[in-house]
Amino acid sequence: MTIADGPALPKLIGERVKRREDPRLIQGQATYVDDIKLPGMLHLAFKRSDIAHGVIKSIDTSAAAEMEGVELVITGAELAEHLGPMPIGTPFPAPDHFSVATDKVRYVGEPVAVVVAEDRYLARDAADAIEVEYEELPAVVDPEVAMEPGSATLHEGFERNIAVESYWGGTGVNPETAQPEDDSAVDAAFEEADVLVTQRMLNQRLAPNAMEPRGVVAQYETGREYLTVWSATQNPHILRTLVAAMMGLGEHQVRAVAPEVGGGFGCKINIYGEEYVAAALSRLAGAPVKWIEDRTEAFLTTTHGRDLLGYIDLAAKSDGTITGLKARIIADIGAYEVLLTAMIPTLTGLMMNGVYRLPVVRHELTEVFTNKTPTDAYRGAGRPEGLYFLERAVDMLARELDMDPAEIRRKNFVPADEFPFATQSGLVYDSGNYEPCLDKALEVADWQGMLAERDAARAEGRIVGVGLSFYVEVCGLGPSAVVPTGGWEHSGVTVERGGKVTATTGASPHGQGNETTFAQMLADHFSIPLEDITILHGDTSVVKQGIGTFGSRSQAVGGAALISAAGKAGDKMKQFAAALMTDQEVSPEDLVFEDGRIQVEGAPEVSKTFAEVADFAYVPVPLPPGMEPGVSEESFFEPENNTYPFGCHISMVEIDRETGEPRLLKMVAVDDCGNVINPLIVDGQVHGGLAQGIGQAMFEEVVYDEDGQPVTASFMDYVMPRAADLPAFELDNTVTPTPVNPLGAKGVGEAGTIGSTPCVVNAAVDALAPFGVTHIEMPLRPERLWRLIQENGGQS
Amino acid sequence: MEIKGEQEFNGGRELLYELLLDPDVLASALPGVERFEEVAPDRYESTMRVGIASVRGTYTGRVEVLEQSPPESYRLRIEGSGKPGGIRADAVVDLSESGGGTTMHYRADVKARGTIARLGGRLLGGVARLLIGQFFKSIEQQVDDRAA
Repeated sequence: MTIADGPALPKLIGERVKRREDPRLIQGQATYVDDIKLPGMLHLAFKRSDIAHGVIKSIDTSAAAEMEGVELVITGAELAEHLGPMPIGTPFPAPDHFSVATDKVRYVGEPVAVVVAEDRYLARDAADAIEVEYEELPAVVDPEVAMEPGSATLHEGFERNIAVESYWGGTGVNPETAQPEDDSAVDAAFEEADVLVTQRMLNQRLAPNAMEPRGVVAQYETGREYLTVWSATQNPHILRTLVAAMMGLGEHQVRAVAPEVGGGFGCKINIYGEEYVAAALSRLAGAPVKWIEDRTEAFLTTTHGRDLLGYIDLAAKSDGTITGLKARIIADIGAYEVLLTAMIPTLTGLMMNGVYRLPVVRHELTEVFTNKTPTDAYRGAGRPEGLYFLERAVDMLARELDMDPAEIRRKNFVPADEFPFATQSGLVYDSGNYEPCLDKALEVADWQGMLAERDAARAEGRIVGVGLSFYVEVCGLGPSAVVPTGGWEHSGVTVERGGKVTATTGASPHGQGNETTFAQMLADHFSIPLEDITILHGDTSVVKQGIGTFGSRSQAVGGAALISAAGKAGDKMKQFAAALMTDQEVSPEDLVFEDGRIQVEGAPEVSKTFAEVADFAYVPVPLPPGMEPGVSEESFFEPENNTYPFGCHISMVEIDRETGEPRLLKMVAVDDCGNVINPLIVDGQVHGGLAQGIGQAMFEEVVYDEDGQPVTASFMDYVMPRAADLPAFELDNTVTPTPVNPLGAKGVGEAGTIGSTPCVVNAAVDALAPFGVTHIEMPLRPERLWRLIQENGGQS
Repeated sequence: MEIKGEQEFNGGRELLYELLLDPDVLASALPGVERFEEVAPDRYESTMRVGIASVRGTYTGRVEVLEQSPPESYRLRIEGSGKPGGIRADAVVDLSESGGGTTMHYRADVKARGTIARLGGRLLGGVARLLIGQFFKSIEQQVDDRAA
């Protein structure tokens, strides 16, 4: 008998393990969609509408078609013979939406024709040579005007441009009748209130701006009747399902691959027209085709995020107890409903309960079509909007009552002993413990010290303010009851010959670091080195099933599936190990994984190496009775509920008195995402989220002119946050595990974008409060701040 | 966007009015004109090359002269398009006597689309001022030539 004297392996869960993905990503050794080059590959270019709203009168493709090297030019109407309207993933009524416009255009950037040519530049030149004549129609730009009778309408059958209307109030919707309960209690709460807060607020339209734009390569193999699609997508399995349906193929005839994906932030959940067009034109042209989005196309055609207008009312007692909330939300969803468009603003109302006990809530939502790029998920997807409205309103209430913003929140928190907590909107918060998180944030930030610093700065004539926000959000999407594609995740774990492990996950990463965290989990599970583990993802021919990566579900759902599959594989390894140790009468139940061995617990001398057992599993002589050879197990994990992570953010902002320029002096984030597998990766997620949340507060905004022409379609005009705009972030956390998955992990992808935005605006309002300012619309443009200072004569 | 301004000329307004609506004068005065044809009374078609930054390209356009009230005022309806996008403009030109010369007031409501629109006020206003300046300089020269 041999006992391997391997080194003791440290436990990796909870350690700051560096991302295994990064060396190849930062050294140019990774393969993105644009790196894929196939023999005979042709290139697509789209002719796009340069007007916001109009009827297509004629399209002259003759000059383009005559250009040498142009294989095919096709208009939307011609393409409609090959591709029907695009599917959506929500149950709401939606107008037909073709990949390429057939008769009418409804936003600048909407494709009207496609060129297939020998190279990318020729394709672009040919697209420029296409002449389109339009009969222009009035552009619908303002969602409130869009809803007025007599406004121009985008879609037949959608009067006053209204896509979705919903209402609930009182104690919520009666689940028996699906009707709103009697909501006279809401009116009563507002009549009896000591103090009211009323504010109209805009949560402005943003462009997601993933570093890698979208791109697709499609190869239809005639004869084999098999389609392969490589795409910069967050969810290759959903891509496979939808592209198969659009192409009239079965899922067994389609392979979808997400190679390295350079960021998604929600905008790569949607399956876009370009992906369907590439598939259809590869079949038509009999060759592989490629399309890579340029940055202007990304601004014009990749889904935008946010763009919610909120009319928010809070009722409260004079001691700060909140007694009611009314929210009327108008969502400017742009020209069409794409995959999840109509669902995103519904999350706003669902999450507007925040971390508070709200006795009564009334929520009205109207989603409106306008002549703008369609909206869909963007980092947080509905929750940042809701929490912004709520956390701004609570801050206004604190100011109205001259209360400390931390104390008014503490007073209204859902107490720790009330979890699981049912909200007015019908959600059940899995777990929560808000006060320790608030206390930790106040301590880390030195809140009292910040107040003193602010007051000292003011005494010097500087304009300085402090802000605080406390958010709760929803992660770990699932379960299947609420996710139209299914809310589970899939994973496979194979122990290879030699004791190495290959695992697959349907949670296809695009920056989440799953290759690292999932390997950490398996390393601890099997007690083998990290280097002995490979995590595969993103290819439907390798990963049998999957849903994808959105709503911070990688760890909470995908990680849970992985651990479940690892458990099954581990059980089989123990059975093979026990079979190898029959002379010692070892039972599989007595065995544990320890430092590269499978051993009797507490008796390392009774053991086999992990590698020995793996080799035996593939040459099992004799095959233990009742067992099959090999160790390759899989698992689907269906969560019973979402998870509800939370956190407290604190910031300090200074505004230049002469120029109005804001400067973020301090940013503290104390987040609680449950158990943490890799704190370094969690910090990275928070860092990126904070930058984007601060970006919304201070810099970013998609702007259209009155004709529906986008005027922020380049990085010259759309202001992204840069490193120099951001202070060193001060991060900390508390740990409140979730009971809904075996890991106790909740999710952290969106946290930074949710807490920081209202936090920074609250600080800016605090800075200008001595000037009589009670609210500032985002972004915090210097001009806007300067005017607010000047309106008060420049005097505080 | 609105583009407006005023320009002083040496000559009388009758002469200026005549020059400003003379196709041959316009063809030589407008910057980058490759073709300028009268296709019907008071209707012109032209091809212009603009060589500035992101709006560089060849544009084809139509100009219609309306509401002529010599020698005081006229209106122009202009449409042009090229690879970087297109514009539509409605311009009013007023000529008034001032001293021995003429003051021209112009005001145009410009609607742009495509790249031109996306560049917005950041670039379009500057390009327009540059082109208008070149045009006026050339007209001024022709006024002086006639006067001489």
